[in-house]
Amino acid sequence: MIFDSYEAFRATNFTPKVCILGSGPAGTTIARKLGAAGIPVVVLEAGSREFSDDSQDFYRGSTVGDPYFDLDITRLRFLGGSSNHWAGWCRVLDKQDFEPKAWAPDTGWPISRADIEPYLPEVHDILELPDFRPDVSISDDIRWVQLIKSPAVRFGEKYADELDKSKNIAVVLNTYAAELAGDGRRVTGAKLWSSGQDVGSFTADYFIVCTGGLENSRLLLWSNQRSNGGVVPNAAALGRYWMEHPTFEGGNAILADYSEFEVDATNEAFFSPTLAAMERLKIMNFGIRLIETPYAGIKSLVADLACTAPDMAEWVAYQLSQNLRCAAQLYVAWEQAPQASNRIKLSKTDVDHAGVPRIELHWKKSEMEHRTLLEGLRLFGTTLVEKNLGRVRIADWIVNGGDYPTNEELAGHHHMGGTRMGTDVTRSVVDANSKVHGMDNLYVGGSSVFCTSGECNPTATITALACRLGDHLSKLITV
Amino acid sequence: MSFFTKKISRRAIMQALIVLPTLSLFRGLPETTSSNADPDAIVEINGWILKRSDLV
Ligand SMILES: Cc1cc2nc3c(=O)[nH]c(=O)nc-3n(C[C@H](O)[C@H](O)[C@H](O)COP(=O)(O)OP(=O)(O)OC[C@H]3O[C@@H](n4cnc5c(N)ncnc54)[C@H](O)[C@@H]3O)c2cc1C
Repeated sequence: MIFDSYEAFRATNFTPKVCILGSGPAGTTIARKLGAAGIPVVVLEAGSREFSDDSQDFYRGSTVGDPYFDLDITRLRFLGGSSNHWAGWCRVLDKQDFEPKAWAPDTGWPISRADIEPYLPEVHDILELPDFRPDVSISDDIRWVQLIKSPAVRFGEKYADELDKSKNIAVVLNTYAAELAGDGRRVTGAKLWSSGQDVGSFTADYFIVCTGGLENSRLLLWSNQRSNGGVVPNAAALGRYWMEHPTFEGGNAILADYSEFEVDATNEAFFSPTLAAMERLKIMNFGIRLIETPYAGIKSLVADLACTAPDMAEWVAYQLSQNLRCAAQLYVAWEQAPQASNRIKLSKTDVDHAGVPRIELHWKKSEMEHRTLLEGLRLFGTTLVEKNLGRVRIADWIVNGGDYPTNEELAGHHHMGGTRMGTDVTRSVVDANSKVHGMDNLYVGGSSVFCTSGECNPTATITALACRLGDHLSKLITV
Repeated sequence: MSFFTKKISRRAIMQALIVLPTLSLFRGLPETTSSNADPDAIVEINGWILKRSDLV
């Protein structure tokens, strides 16, 4: 069932056991799992079926620190959430991403990759992915990894019909959960805002917050402030350890044979470090994306090479004259070391139409990140030389320790952390089952529970965790 | 005046400065001619990750 207003939903006698906030990939996946298990569930969705400026305005906020996207640009607030404009790149976090790293504090998850692997067939089905091929080891340091571009499934479009026909799932549009109330053990209700007004409180046995990787922290911070700690009793880590995937052009490569790494229709290939290389260099994970360089770019690259290695440049020029495609741009996206100071705070001055403080995002890249970028490119360059696959030129600003350019991709629109998973209540917000520490009936879905980000796009892992949480709750909740 | 400039004429300093950039040390280039340099060694010059033998 899909209702266009809270009023229409209230007119029915549908009594859900579980209330999910948000209909993005996380919320929709959990709802479908619970619905399939015969558990009545309501999904409260702040937006409507389509994009609207009015709804989007609730997402405005500010950023302190490094340049970042406007917060109302980097996500979407309507049915299906940000899946309405995601690019569809998929890979699940690697086994090594879940493991603690002695050289990077606050890494390591309370679960391992094996805990989400049983759900990967479902993830492939939901995101319409073919099977991943295993990583290919290029050297002791570098793996050739695969990211698959899904058809960028729009969850709202794909599942609207199924949700509408479902007897166990009610999706209620235009219904904003502005605040949760809690007594330090249980959430006792959600204060709702619909059609421009306060429409009272809604209650259910269980609540699952799936409002996105920025909004989850905002809603819980505000709710906790209003209920004097009654929603997140252990709030030391709430909003903290927020992470993105910084993304910049790192340089170029000249390849002996471009087709060596050609993997898909997008002519892109991806490379990541081995755990041993990360440990040796004390860096985080990264993904180097290799993209064919347009001809004009190759000429200046060869001219630059001629100043340093004339014979090599001559060889490249010869390859070019044979019309071989032999040069590539290297984009690097990398994992940020978790840092408590990268955090979501509530603005002291700016509120949305419902009176909820807007987000003030504090985000800064650290020295470890510059090292990951530089050493990552060096590792890749060294591997190409050693294996006689090509040569790499690292961009000047990286070698010279200059400022990050401001006219590039910046980051991936991947909002991770803020309600991270863990066992230590001073450093995490949810437990291994995504339940808020100390609360009996409050869970969190989405990438805000990520402890570390790995190098890959988050949605495949979000979907796997959502399947796992749906499964867990299906066994726990009796109808 | 420093010891250095007292002992060496201005003209000699200027000449030395002009020659400096052509010395491999100051171009960031490793010694390529030395007979015992490993041609397969990896070198980083001007951002390029190369094999020493690429520089010949
Ligand atoms: C331009 C762009 C490109 C991207 N490309 C990729 C990619 O290639 N690969 C990849 O893996 N990821 C990509 N992403 C990220 C991906 O979109 C997100 O990881 C994913 O959508 C997160 O799912 P979610 O369900 O956790 O949150 P969201 O998709 O953000 O959904 C949250 C939902 O909650 C609703 N909501 C918010 N607040 C409330 C509230 N208080 N009450 C009720 N409802 C509320 C929102 O309207 C929304 O529908 C991209 C993102 C962007 C912006």
